[in-house]
Amino acid sequence: MMRSLRREPVLLLALLAAIALVLAFIVYPQIQVVLVPGADGYVKFLNGGTWVGPLVHSVQVTLLSTTTAVVLGFVFAYAMVYTPMRWKPFFRIVGILPLLSPPFVVAAVYILLFGPRGIVSYGVFGQSPSVFGLLGVWGVQTIAFFPFAYQLIADVLSRSDARLEQAARNLGAGPWQVFRSMTLPLSGPGLGAAILTCAIYILEDFGNPQLIGGGFNVLPTQAYSLIEGFGDFTGAAAVSTILLLLALSLYVAKTGLDRGRSFVTVGGKASSMPRPPVPLALTRACFAACLALAGLILLVYGTLIVSALTLYFPTNLNFTLQHFEYLGAHATSLQNSFVYSMIAAIGCSIFALFAGFVVQRGTWPGRKLFDFLLIMPAAIPGIFFGIGYLTAFNQPWSDRLAEFFGQPDLRAQLIVIALLFWNIPIAYQAVTVGLRQIDRSIDEAATSLGASSLRGFRDVLVPMLGGSVQVGFVTTFVRAVTTLSVVIFLFTPRSTTATITIFQLVNDFDWGGAAAFTVGDVGMAVIVVVLIQRLGGRFAVTGFRGG
Amino acid sequence: MDDVSTKGYDRRAFLKVMGLGASAAALAACGGGAGTTAAATTAAATATVAKPTGNIVVYTALNETTNNAFTDAFKVAYPGTTVDLLPLAAAGDLQTRITAEKASPKADIFIGGSSEFHDPLGKAGLLEMYVSPNASSLKPEFKDAAGFWTGWYTGIFGFIANTDRLTKEVGGKLPATWDDLLDPSWKGKLILPDPVKTGGGYIFIATQIFRFNKDEAKAMAFMKTLHGNIADYIGTAPGAIGAVSQGQYVGCPNWAHDILTEKGKNPGVSLAVPANTGFEVGGISIVKGAKNLPLAKAFVDWVLTPEAGALNVKLSNRGSTIASIPAAPGAPTLASVTLVNYDRQWATDNKTRILTLWQQTVGRT
Repeated sequence: MMRSLRREPVLLLALLAAIALVLAFIVYPQIQVVLVPGADGYVKFLNGGTWVGPLVHSVQVTLLSTTTAVVLGFVFAYAMVYTPMRWKPFFRIVGILPLLSPPFVVAAVYILLFGPRGIVSYGVFGQSPSVFGLLGVWGVQTIAFFPFAYQLIADVLSRSDARLEQAARNLGAGPWQVFRSMTLPLSGPGLGAAILTCAIYILEDFGNPQLIGGGFNVLPTQAYSLIEGFGDFTGAAAVSTILLLLALSLYVAKTGLDRGRSFVTVGGKASSMPRPPVPLALTRACFAACLALAGLILLVYGTLIVSALTLYFPTNLNFTLQHFEYLGAHATSLQNSFVYSMIAAIGCSIFALFAGFVVQRGTWPGRKLFDFLLIMPAAIPGIFFGIGYLTAFNQPWSDRLAEFFGQPDLRAQLIVIALLFWNIPIAYQAVTVGLRQIDRSIDEAATSLGASSLRGFRDVLVPMLGGSVQVGFVTTFVRAVTTLSVVIFLFTPRSTTATITIFQLVNDFDWGGAAAFTVGDVGMAVIVVVLIQRLGGRFAVTGFRGG
Repeated sequence: MDDVSTKGYDRRAFLKVMGLGASAAALAACGGGAGTTAAATTAAATATVAKPTGNIVVYTALNETTNNAFTDAFKVAYPGTTVDLLPLAAAGDLQTRITAEKASPKADIFIGGSSEFHDPLGKAGLLEMYVSPNASSLKPEFKDAAGFWTGWYTGIFGFIANTDRLTKEVGGKLPATWDDLLDPSWKGKLILPDPVKTGGGYIFIATQIFRFNKDEAKAMAFMKTLHGNIADYIGTAPGAIGAVSQGQYVGCPNWAHDILTEKGKNPGVSLAVPANTGFEVGGISIVKGAKNLPLAKAFVDWVLTPEAGALNVKLSNRGSTIASIPAAPGAPTLASVTLVNYDRQWATDNKTRILTLWQQTVGRT
């Protein structure tokens, strides 16, 4: 692409613009945070040694939860793509639901259900488990992050070539042998991306460990408690830097593993061959596993709905609709959440497509660094993403800019940009994985016929990446609608969001109100996701359609 | 932006003063309508009392009902004003936000949260010094010696129990002293807001240290024995109250006002205030670079009135720093409980060391 960059000024300009955006909205704000402690601050903090325990815990949780989340995601994806299992449209929603866990509320439901006197743990099984600590966090993170793995892997599996597997079967290989020597290796890029994204997101996640962790402290909860409990911004920023370094090492490890492998499964010729049939027993097992998972997830959301409809669950079970009055009283915050998340998701999808294209198909210098910068936001705990933006962009010059546009402030715009770039990693990973599967000869065919590489990208590759774009769009939207940490330092009275309202209600001990508002927020997101999947199913050319 | 707005202000004020100079000073007070704060203040200097007007932005860590009631009542007391609320029930977040916004401050007022969150902002030069005339009767421990913040409410550390389980499993007796919690009947039934993660949990440890006259060894011995009875440390203080209310655990040291609020919704919990407990002083301060300083000062003055104090007591169950305001029904007061000699400065300065010491003591990494 070096040559084509010189020949195509538009492509060059677009690339430079993308680099400028990444520098402005990922690198620059984060530098603000990294610089906060200063040399003295870092030395003092590192010598204090309070980070050692949380670091060990973070590594433990990340290793355990990533493993189980990816295994679970793989099983779910395999079941959805390979088996003729029933109820797939239902499971497809179930596979997204755990992403929709606004801070505090869903984790609180886990305690309600599985705590020492939990409705299920004690009420049904008579057990008093200790949910707080490593076990609890491991369990919750597995459920919370398996949708990342499921989506990335399903997208890859759905694009794998059925002819290869059919051929292997024809040559006498059994189903297990085909799976081991074909399906599994060919899902490599999806697995790699799933492991990397899950690991980094789990490493960064603060909400679940904060609520389920109890005395079990991980780095993000340590960072947050330094700010929230003690106003120690310096120490918190130092923790944030440690997290960045951990993410960098994960990234380097993953790149090392990927080196020199090819995963091309989409060649120049169209394939309409069906996949070889999956043994009936396997289909049944997959169905049972998906059903069990769905049951667990629905139990959580069912409890939430019951909480919203009763006076004070679980101690006062009288029916009421009063909690839903909050939806009317705070309609602005719900509306803001919808608008900001929608714009962020669209922007994120477009940006990820282009960035994936220039990195995967280009050979320009600095490509590797750019690649890392696009995964880096996953490693930045949301609050630091927000604080970085606030420090970098709440400046006299931005006030003048707002004045120029005749606005009191530009915070709503800033929130959208923050949500966009905070969610780039997953959208970008999805596109990257898709591109690695598509043979270069396909886009080269377009360019050798005289199309510019941008045109070839737009007309040939983009339609083939429908499924990947959908993964990025849905995940960005859902995470944007349910994030508290990114907006908590950016919102203003005019640009408040649904999660801020939920946070307030939880802190006001208004469990019913918080549950009702969460039901409204999650309900809105589910409707959008279902519509997107309908649309995606109709328009995607080779995208993930669940088999 | 700062420069721009200041210039705008000055010019407006200047023109207004010029115009007013010709007319009588009495007319000036009427002439200064909504939105001309600076002019009104200037006029007030010559006229008798003219209330400041305009808009202020309030960063508040108070609960929603108090926020709304305060805004409404303030607007009645100061007609022609508007209040933009930025509610965030996490004072540490607001403190960090004010720090991160210092290049172009957006808040006029920071209200709510323990004075520990206001104090560092004052020391960092991010607050406007203001001693309200209404603060003159407050005890010295309720106000900043340097004049950056004023304490206007108090929160007392108490103990919540799930009444049913307390009766059945622990003998039904609420703790009268913190040492009562060392009884083996509490084993595995207590929780504590995590001292490393929550301000409340740390205040609990500091309280023990002050209770033993800063004999850290004794305090740590207490915390170590107590650790044996504690089932879990919880990440948030409200989360711990919820867990006891549900009956997941039997008891938990926590904020008395929040326990009372929970009791209003679930009568199945009890509140106790063991002897020698700790407390917080809730602060209010003016942010440096406030766009509407006269109105910000007026807001501080108003919050320190008995009316506002009583309103907050009613809505949040906290106490007022004004001695004459009665406590909420069932709420402890600083007079009705025995308090430790809480050395706030010492607690802040020694925080990291104490927490490390505690973690080593209870064997936590």
